[in-house]
Amino acid sequence: MQRIRILKYITLGAFLIIAVRLFFIQIIEHDAWVAKANEQHTMLETITAKRGEIYMMDGSEPVAVVLNQAVYQIIIDPAVTPKDDIKNTLEKYAKDYITADFDEIYAIEGLRYYIVAKNVPYSIATEIAKQGIANVWMKEGNGRVYPEGEVGSTVLGFVNSDGLGQYGIEGSLNNILKGEDGLLKSISDVNNVALSIGKDNVKIEAEDGQDVVLSIDRGLERGVEEVLAGAINDTAATNAAALVMNPNTGEVVAMTSLPGYNPGDYGKVKDASAYINQVTEIAYEPASIFKNFIFSAAINEGKMTADTTYFNTPFTEVDGNQIWNAEQRAILNNQNLTMRDALYWSLNVGSIQALKFLGDNPDEITATGRERMYDYYTNKFRLGHATGIELIEAEGFIWDPHAEIYGLNAAYANMTFGQNLSATMIQTATAFSAVVNGGVWRTPSVVKGTLKDGTITPLENHEKIEDQILSTETSATMRSLLINNRSYKARAGIDRAGYDVGGKSGTAQVVVNGAYDDSMSNLVGSYIGFVAPSGSMPEYVIMVKMWGEGQALSGGEAQSLFDTLSNYVIDYLKIKPSGV
Amino acid sequence: MNRKHKSDLVILFTTLGLMALGLIVIYAIGPMRANVLNNTYGTNYGANDFFLGQLRSVVLALIAFFVAFKVIPYKYIQKFAKPLIIFALVLSGLLWVMSMAGSSLVKCELGECRWFQLGSVSFQPAEVLKLALVVYLADFLARKREEGKIGDFKEFWLPVIIVCGLSLGLVVVAQGDLGTGVALIAIIFGMFLIAGVPSWQYLLMLAIVVTVAVGSVAMSSHRMERVDAWVATLTGGESSDSTYHIENAMLAIGTGGFAGVGIGNSVQATGYLPESINDSVFAIMGETFGFVGLFLVIGVFCIMLLRMLKVANYTKDETNRFLVIGVFSWTLAQVIVNIMAMTSLVPVTGITLPLLSYGGTSMLFIAFGIGLVCQLSCYTSREGIKHENISSRGRQRGSHYSSRRRHS
Repeated sequence: MQRIRILKYITLGAFLIIAVRLFFIQIIEHDAWVAKANEQHTMLETITAKRGEIYMMDGSEPVAVVLNQAVYQIIIDPAVTPKDDIKNTLEKYAKDYITADFDEIYAIEGLRYYIVAKNVPYSIATEIAKQGIANVWMKEGNGRVYPEGEVGSTVLGFVNSDGLGQYGIEGSLNNILKGEDGLLKSISDVNNVALSIGKDNVKIEAEDGQDVVLSIDRGLERGVEEVLAGAINDTAATNAAALVMNPNTGEVVAMTSLPGYNPGDYGKVKDASAYINQVTEIAYEPASIFKNFIFSAAINEGKMTADTTYFNTPFTEVDGNQIWNAEQRAILNNQNLTMRDALYWSLNVGSIQALKFLGDNPDEITATGRERMYDYYTNKFRLGHATGIELIEAEGFIWDPHAEIYGLNAAYANMTFGQNLSATMIQTATAFSAVVNGGVWRTPSVVKGTLKDGTITPLENHEKIEDQILSTETSATMRSLLINNRSYKARAGIDRAGYDVGGKSGTAQVVVNGAYDDSMSNLVGSYIGFVAPSGSMPEYVIMVKMWGEGQALSGGEAQSLFDTLSNYVIDYLKIKPSGV
Repeated sequence: MNRKHKSDLVILFTTLGLMALGLIVIYAIGPMRANVLNNTYGTNYGANDFFLGQLRSVVLALIAFFVAFKVIPYKYIQKFAKPLIIFALVLSGLLWVMSMAGSSLVKCELGECRWFQLGSVSFQPAEVLKLALVVYLADFLARKREEGKIGDFKEFWLPVIIVCGLSLGLVVVAQGDLGTGVALIAIIFGMFLIAGVPSWQYLLMLAIVVTVAVGSVAMSSHRMERVDAWVATLTGGESSDSTYHIENAMLAIGTGGFAGVGIGNSVQATGYLPESINDSVFAIMGETFGFVGLFLVIGVFCIMLLRMLKVANYTKDETNRFLVIGVFSWTLAQVIVNIMAMTSLVPVTGITLPLLSYGGTSMLFIAFGIGLVCQLSCYTSREGIKHENISSRGRQRGSHYSSRRRHS
């Protein structure tokens, strides 16, 4: 029967085609399909390492100032997650954490995965989970809590929503803090739930980050910030920065720049410059503070003493430029003055004279003088170079003694009083520490070490340099000069009896449109000094800086701030006066 | 009619074997299916719910099979050929009207309303329609052949167009069920071929169906999308939502390799492959049992279908023979279209794999149909119908037409 045979052939033909097709897919293309399947089925999930916490010191005890808390990412599948439900729920419970424009993401065709909220705290995440909206997932992550608020913000930094430390210690020690994420590789079902089917499932445990202890004293830090905030309030300054360090160890006990921000709410910062640690990340012209360094160099080289005299004029001419003293009193002009007087009155002609002495020619700046000064500035005081503190640092700039520029001597003359160069506050304070501590340059440090089971272990790979760059005699001479600078403060009772307080101010002209603003309407005021029990070695070096765009902040205002701060430090750190 | 003898055991055992295999596969992947649905839609299926559901379907299907096989004589059913088709059409019509009225007794999925829902029991009238059409056409074609009216416009084509047109209209247009539509068309073409519809009319019918099919695909963006998706998977084009189903079916089959990943190790069934327990069960079987397993499965289907043809070939009674061919065509269409869709040989149409897919109504009715074939296998003659063949009748009718042409 012919027609039944047609059906038979159709049947056999169809099955033959299917068999051939199956052979093709299952035998020939097998490997390709397996590869494709692995791509689709393999779930790679990172097991997030717990980030290390950050401690400050409270006296001699470490106390946590940066903590972790579990936070959640909320993830949806726009193809199936009901839009209105999730949108309304998030707007009700987690408005501040929403990272998505729902109209936008629901308009994207084929989008199956989207993080709609980040850093949602546990309590809110639980509330959202209770709503039972289909196809909503939550992924746990680490969130940072900063219970101190803005205190120490520019030292601490913050952690961004990708879990990466930014600025401050969070940024510079990110590798130590973050630990190593673990990995979970497994065959998973369509909802990314791991299945026990896979043969190649892998689990690598996370290695938690290390806790870090800062040398910063929490109470002092807060106090210093309050004093600075007061100074901003009382003067034309809009910004202020300060640093308190132990010159004998290099340990920083307070470091701040204001205005700061709340690292737990870093996204709300409008001016990103608030993130910047002005103490380490900004190189500037510290001005007359630098006279300490040229004086130290000339004395240390035996080219002059505090009592060496020179003939002071209202200005001196270098490379055809008149360089004037800021202080123009009749009792000073056209007189023989000692170098002690020159530093006391902060005379630029005097500091240029120190450079001339250094170059073995009291009448002019010589190449030898430049070379020696350069050697002291860059190689000994390490100005213009990163200090090696455990923070993000800017470098700086010092003219080469053989630079092929017009007016190189004028530039060097400027550099004796801290202009025409740049250095950061931490570089300046570290160099100053060497000036007053007996002549040893020490790598500054803001981190005591990592904390584990109550024991602090110093950081590996943190090179600590100790370099005797000045003789102890030079250092002693400089201390006496610096104390002399404040002799009238002692008489005014600001510097208390029983203490030696020494210091030097700096008023920097600011470069506006490529030239120094001679109108003196735009100035940055700095002050650096030390406090010591009378007749003893300095215990703390304090540096302050005040400025404001278009504002004239003199070294005098910075000096007032230092006055308040030095007394605060003496009280807070309970520095005992001599004889007690 | 020939004297009753033993039935065809091959059809019996292949049927039972396939049902058992379906049960095993659903047992293995049912818990995964429950898990996926619970996670995705917040349903609350137990791990064994799908297995128990399939077990219930198999028990019901077995009852239907043995009722058709042993209890109700086909001659008795044949008497109700007309009422049965009317009943089936009314049922489908009722579904359509009720779905338009938004009745709660109608169950809709993905916008297509194909089921009656009575309490926890759902029921697909299209399945009744397939069986009813086979029974009706077997009776109708046998009568028309006796009357010599096959190919006659008024006596043959008019009722055919009305009944088949209504059936297709209700299924394809009203219910949007292209899969059942393909099965109906296969039934019609298979039975008409054996009933001896003149070749030119048969080819014309084929041409019309092809034209309508192509036209309706081209005019429906939804169907065109499926064809585009199919072309994309064939040519290795871009992946999209439309190609997802085919790609994952192929992925399941492809990863199975030669011997398969083994029972309970299917990954595709954990939610990647849509319809894993219904229309895509073949792909999951490919992943689980590999080329060897699938080769056996299609081998079993092939043997079953060829045995049906043999039964038809040895059946003298024309009604009986047409009925066997109807059931054969129905089964063949579902098997071939389902498997070819899973292997990307044709575009995807929602159609179940007989006896293996999860789904009560579908299994129930096809089991009943195969049961009838088993019953009729007891009445075959020893010799094939070599002499009383259709080609000779065709020739007779050929002259009949030429005389008619002369009249006109």
